[in-house]
Amino acid sequence: MKVKKILLLFIFLLVGSLTCLGKVQASTDTSLQHVKQKGTLVVGTSADYPPYEFTVKQNGQTKYVGLDIEIAKQFAKNLGVKLEIKNMNFDSLLVALETRKVDMVISGMNPTPERQKSVDFSKIYYRGKQYMLINQKDATRFKNIHSFRGQTIGAQTGSLQYQLVQQQMKGNHLKGLAKLNDLVIALQSGKVNAVAMEEATAKAFAENNTSLKVINPNFNVKASQTGSAIAFHKNSPSLVAAANRTIDQIKQKNLINQKYIPLAGKYMSNNSRKNTMWNYWTYFAKGIEYTLLITAVSVCFGFVLGTLFSLMRLSKIKIIHLLAVWYIEFVRGTPLMVQVMFVYFGIGTVIQAMPALIAGIIAVSLNSAAYVAEIIRSGIQSIPIGQAEAARSLGMSQHEAYRYVIIPQALKNIWPALGNEFITLIKESSIVSIIGVGDLMYEMQLVQSATYKGVLPIFIAMVLYFVMTFGLSNVLGYFERKMKHA
Amino acid sequence: MPKDDLMIEVKHLKKTFGNNLVLKDITESVKNGQVICVIGPSGSGKSTFLRCLNVLEQPTDGKVLFEGNDLTGISDEELNQLRQKMGMVFQSFNLFPNLTVLENIELAPVKVKKFQPTTAKAKAMDLLTQVGLAEKADQYPQSLSGGQQQRVAIARALAMNPEVMLFDEPTSALDPEMVGEVLKVMRDLAESGMTMVVVTHEMGFAKEVADQIWFMADGYIQEKGTPAEFFAHPQTDRAKDFLSKILL
Repeated sequence: MKVKKILLLFIFLLVGSLTCLGKVQASTDTSLQHVKQKGTLVVGTSADYPPYEFTVKQNGQTKYVGLDIEIAKQFAKNLGVKLEIKNMNFDSLLVALETRKVDMVISGMNPTPERQKSVDFSKIYYRGKQYMLINQKDATRFKNIHSFRGQTIGAQTGSLQYQLVQQQMKGNHLKGLAKLNDLVIALQSGKVNAVAMEEATAKAFAENNTSLKVINPNFNVKASQTGSAIAFHKNSPSLVAAANRTIDQIKQKNLINQKYIPLAGKYMSNNSRKNTMWNYWTYFAKGIEYTLLITAVSVCFGFVLGTLFSLMRLSKIKIIHLLAVWYIEFVRGTPLMVQVMFVYFGIGTVIQAMPALIAGIIAVSLNSAAYVAEIIRSGIQSIPIGQAEAARSLGMSQHEAYRYVIIPQALKNIWPALGNEFITLIKESSIVSIIGVGDLMYEMQLVQSATYKGVLPIFIAMVLYFVMTFGLSNVLGYFERKMKHA
Repeated sequence: MPKDDLMIEVKHLKKTFGNNLVLKDITESVKNGQVICVIGPSGSGKSTFLRCLNVLEQPTDGKVLFEGNDLTGISDEELNQLRQKMGMVFQSFNLFPNLTVLENIELAPVKVKKFQPTTAKAKAMDLLTQVGLAEKADQYPQSLSGGQQQRVAIARALAMNPEVMLFDEPTSALDPEMVGEVLKVMRDLAESGMTMVVVTHEMGFAKEVADQIWFMADGYIQEKGTPAEFFAHPQTDRAKDFLSKILL
């Protein structure tokens, strides 16, 4: 009972402190002043949505382009501040906004009433129709929403299109994925029969892939549902007003149609001309670098923390033992993906400046620590009690007995299990891509969106992951053999 | 007899495991230079008694004094200090399998006593020569026979320069042909004047080497005396019964 009470209190305090923090921040509007003071406008976007936002490679660097990016640039310029783009899943954008990871979100986002409840929106800056992307070979079968009856329709989760399909195509199966690229792969491989998409985006995909075709299925869309607007943190009228002035200026000069879309089109055709994988090797190289970095740092921290937790768990002091047990059980009982998001968005509320990379490393380390703790505990418990007794009878303290006698032997016994955990870490670390850490998985997605090729980048990433894990497994095997001699 | 002649004093020692009272009330003392052999039937509490002497088992009640210090009521640091002076040899050797014979012996002197590695190594080699295993210095324990391992274990305990050596059935896990070599090392040690408490089933050794036999049964020390007295004229029925069942 006591245990339960303490746990409840802990959760209560945690939730309480997080909500308090949110409230304090929302009380007065210093949003515009705040951005000007920091001198940077941090913009969240989901850069897989050409021509709104997507990536191109320029001189080996990833560059975010598209009409939304141009608008953001103009806005930053008008404010007299620098622009910083944060790329993440569309689903994560509003959370990032609420937790102040970003100052604004521009991502072809439609200001639906639901969204308006949690964030403020600028004026509509662009209005496109809602289209359907289909395979060329189905062009004769599918004409409008009624001809899709019984088919599987794909849409980006959290998007307007997703809602439209849900509401207006009730006889259909709806498959929601986070990334448009994945939806297009699903379309090409027949997993879905069509993907609901915004007009400009659908046309972009079709232009870059001759096997795809765009149709207008005539969704019944209210005018208010179709436009795109910029999202801001709730209660930031000064920043919204500033954005509206920029939008007015852009509209007045008709910049979007005359300048931004043609520019985006140029980048897109540029992309498709250079879309051999070889051109993107720097993406993969950078991804490998980050994956290895995250893994290496997490292995070190995970090992140190894991050792600590295993010793805590073996402790005779009850509260220390229980702390370790709770920690291990909790971490093992929750998905790494949730942990990564919690560290980035949750703890990130308290520590505002925490970069995604650090959040990712923290989450993966903390996760790994729980598993390593159990491996080490089993290793320590596999050492006969006589070893500890012999060490203690020689006058060693418990600490010395562990350090010089127990741990070295335990380490030898658990090496294979530990190695397995490290190999797992290389693969599991791919989850940090959801918060926008540039690991191999994330870079692979960038290549997908830049090249309009779905499966090949996945295949390359798969091979690269295998090369890394196989390499590590050989290195570990070498040390295992070496230790056997001893 | 001067008081400081007493090395170990045990006062009203009791030990329970759960509801099982293993040591019921033991008050004894070991003098400097004495060799005590503790004998008795299996399950009589001999090993538990020995392990209480260096507090590998925490006594449930009573006191264990080593050179006047009550081991049951001192800090962990002090206990670790005093344990260095009490070498222990186990039935199952408990050598560190990941270390060579030499490293087994050097480890505690270097890590605990902070000896210079060269000093510790010289001392370890001396001890290995003493137990007749100098040529095995760089081998790992599992390549040694049981008798050899136990001799290394004795050398390891001696490397801390102990003032008393506790032996917990040191030959019980050995093949018969290896018992002799271990007993020889122990006999040499006794002759050198080392204070020893030996839990053993080797009656020949007890008879020959012990200054005193403590006969233990049912959680008490039932009777004690010189080997000559004890083996020739046991006083208690328990001891008579025990001696009648073993081959002498």
